[in-house]
Amino acid sequence: MTFSSQDATARPLRVGIVGGGPGGLFTAWRIEQLASARFAITIFEASHRLGGKVLTPSFTTAAARYEAGAAEFYDYSPVGDDPLRGLVRSLGLATVPLTGAAVIVGGRRIANLDDAGAVLGQDGREGLLAFDAWARSAMTTREFYDSGSDHAATAAPDGRFDAALAATCRLPARSYVEAMIHSDLATEPATTTAGYGLQNYLMNDPAYMRLYRIAGGNEQLVTAIATRLAARIRLGTTVTRIAGVPRAPLTVGWRDGDAVREEEFDVVILALPVGPLSQVVITDTALRTSLARHVAHHDHPAHYLRVTLLIDRPVRGVPGGDDYLMLDAFGGTCLYVESSRDPTATHGVLGLLIGGAAAAELAGETDDVLAAAAVEALPPGLGIGRREVLEARVHRWNGAVSAAPGGWVPLPVDRRHRPSPAHPNLFVVGDYLFDSTLNGVLDSAEHVAGWVAADLAGDPDGVQPQQNHA
Amino acid sequence: MISPDSVTTTGPIVIPDHRPVSVPFGLPADAVCVSRSLPTGEHVEVLSVPLEETAAPWPPATDGGPGGLEDTIRRWVSALASPAATVVVVPLYGCHVAWTAGRAAVIGPPERLGQLEAAVVEFAGVEADLRDAERRAAALLDTVEGDVATSLSLDEHSPDRCAELADRHRRAVAVGRRLALLAPLVHTPPLHPPTLASQLGERLRERTRLVERLEFATQRAEFAERVAEACGQRALEAGIARRQLGLEWAIVVLLVVQTALLVVELLSHRATP
Ligand SMILES: Cc1cc2nc3c(=O)[nH]c(=O)nc-3n(C[C@H](O)[C@H](O)[C@H](O)COP(=O)(O)OP(=O)(O)OC[C@H]3O[C@@H](n4cnc5c(N)ncnc54)[C@H](O)[C@@H]3O)c2cc1C
Repeated sequence: MTFSSQDATARPLRVGIVGGGPGGLFTAWRIEQLASARFAITIFEASHRLGGKVLTPSFTTAAARYEAGAAEFYDYSPVGDDPLRGLVRSLGLATVPLTGAAVIVGGRRIANLDDAGAVLGQDGREGLLAFDAWARSAMTTREFYDSGSDHAATAAPDGRFDAALAATCRLPARSYVEAMIHSDLATEPATTTAGYGLQNYLMNDPAYMRLYRIAGGNEQLVTAIATRLAARIRLGTTVTRIAGVPRAPLTVGWRDGDAVREEEFDVVILALPVGPLSQVVITDTALRTSLARHVAHHDHPAHYLRVTLLIDRPVRGVPGGDDYLMLDAFGGTCLYVESSRDPTATHGVLGLLIGGAAAAELAGETDDVLAAAAVEALPPGLGIGRREVLEARVHRWNGAVSAAPGGWVPLPVDRRHRPSPAHPNLFVVGDYLFDSTLNGVLDSAEHVAGWVAADLAGDPDGVQPQQNHA
Repeated sequence: MISPDSVTTTGPIVIPDHRPVSVPFGLPADAVCVSRSLPTGEHVEVLSVPLEETAAPWPPATDGGPGGLEDTIRRWVSALASPAATVVVVPLYGCHVAWTAGRAAVIGPPERLGQLEAAVVEFAGVEADLRDAERRAAALLDTVEGDVATSLSLDEHSPDRCAELADRHRRAVAVGRRLALLAPLVHTPPLHPPTLASQLGERLRERTRLVERLEFATQRAEFAERVAEACGQRALEAGIARRQLGLEWAIVVLLVVQTALLVVELLSHRATP
């Protein structure tokens, strides 16, 4: 018997979603769109806002916005269907392309092959061309697009990215490649797979992918979905416990002051990153064991640290009319000129996205120290020193994204999303199940929403837990 | 203050096969200006100004101000442009380009000027071709309503008008063909890893909205072709109908003659005792 095979007069299917980040919101949105029978969704969100790591706050000194979490949306439409692009479009959100070709190596700019020849020498230029040719043959556009799916296959070598780089990219081209991708990777080449490293290199080729942002701030995506949801939303509710025996409804528990409150659901979806997921107490032994195994398999934390500076004057766009460039500071850092395309801007907004080991190390420093380090890392020609900085904001994102370590093999997509076969009504949704991006978390949400909707429609291939109210 | 069209010169420098043009006053002595002819028959004046570059990630912010080199070339380029024409200014990595239909100026390191010029001329060729096709597509639209009216009122005095419609159809097909040939040049995928020249080509295509313009011109040409085809079909039907009418009359005449002959024969039989 499926959850939905109750007779028409029965109560709606109760769906509890834990986590009000993009994962939770996308899942709720898709279930509401797909489901053909009655259901009632509740979203539990620990903080007092929805959106998780997609947030566009403002400075206090001036009315200028900045991206504190996800700054770029990835557009796969050059290769195939792109559900995230489709979602953004269907919500009527205006988008702006994001471009950036320059990497600063040793204080000099490399924005094209001519620069590569001038800065790295002929040998460096040829090294770069050879690596590029290898990268594209190791992962075609289609393979890049399919990565993360069950039928993903590439000619990328197994093992760590540093080994692949050492074998295919000779110095000095390697320093350029490392600086170029470090900020996207959020980890070091030694702690990720060759495939993941290659993806982060190839995403710079417009034939593989393009970048865009949402005009007026990426958080508008969150707002646009939230205002359209019929779901009940419980903000400021940190879920601490999931209880329930196999093939029975599950109970979601949270703390409310000194009291512990509970609510029963037919389906529970944990839309949490790996860290918070590991902290939820699971009462059922089988489920606890399965989730612990799931967490252990996916627990490969990667780190970000974002320092955003408000400048007392508009900052000229990046040379070349770009929106960002890569600095070799902190092992490779992305510098976004967030105010570059706003002709009416009265202030400049510069965001530095530090990734990997440097982000983890620096996270313990005070905001003042980090702001000073960020100013120090700015290209000298920009003419910005501490005096020009009106305000600095620091966002520490330790362990907030995932790295796929060398040799790591992803589980089949179904197994990824339903960790315990004995609890077919418990799902997980997360970007870490794909590639730590918004596209990944949307794929994950679509997968689970499709499953729940199929069950609601009485599809025998749907969720299929036994209804057991014993 | 430099006057935008002041073409008093630091002396023309001759590049073989290209017509030298005076270099605007106020530019370095090694600046070169040549006129290149494009496949459409148009010419583009290309001004090249060599400037050593430091590969600094963020060049000092003073060079674009009034009276600076970038301002001078922008004003020189704008001087040719009609008020409605687009003037595109592209600051690129270590170089600076200003363009309008018929004129382009490039500031860049001496060793890269050649490829930048080539990229500008290649782009100018595609743009001029597209502009010409756009003009022809627009002209086709001017006549569609008249053509529809003509095709509905064809009579026996219309063979000239039929030929006119056929010519219009042929011209619509020709514009469509030209746009189809331009499409791969306009949609050239970005090169990766890019070269400075390929980046310049992409920026110019983007800033002059070649993709959108091609799409609109193609839509116009397709619409005009559809109308021309329908009008041609109508003219053909009218022609066929005219011929059918002639045939019908011939049959009627034959029948009348045959009947008359029959009557004559009958009467002659009667008259004979
Ligand atoms: C600095 C940074 C830059 C990034 N840049 C990009 C980018 O450019 N492009 C891109 O595609 N992706 C980017 N990402 C990744 C992107 O932000 C994530 O893919 C996305 O936010 C994942 O959504 P999620 O819902 O799974 O997790 P989250 O966004 O982390 O949301 C989880 C939510 O769950 C809540 N929560 C946690 N514990 C509990 C609990 N016990 N009970 C209830 N609620 C709980 C949290 O408060 C949070 O709101 C970036 C991430 C970071 C950190």
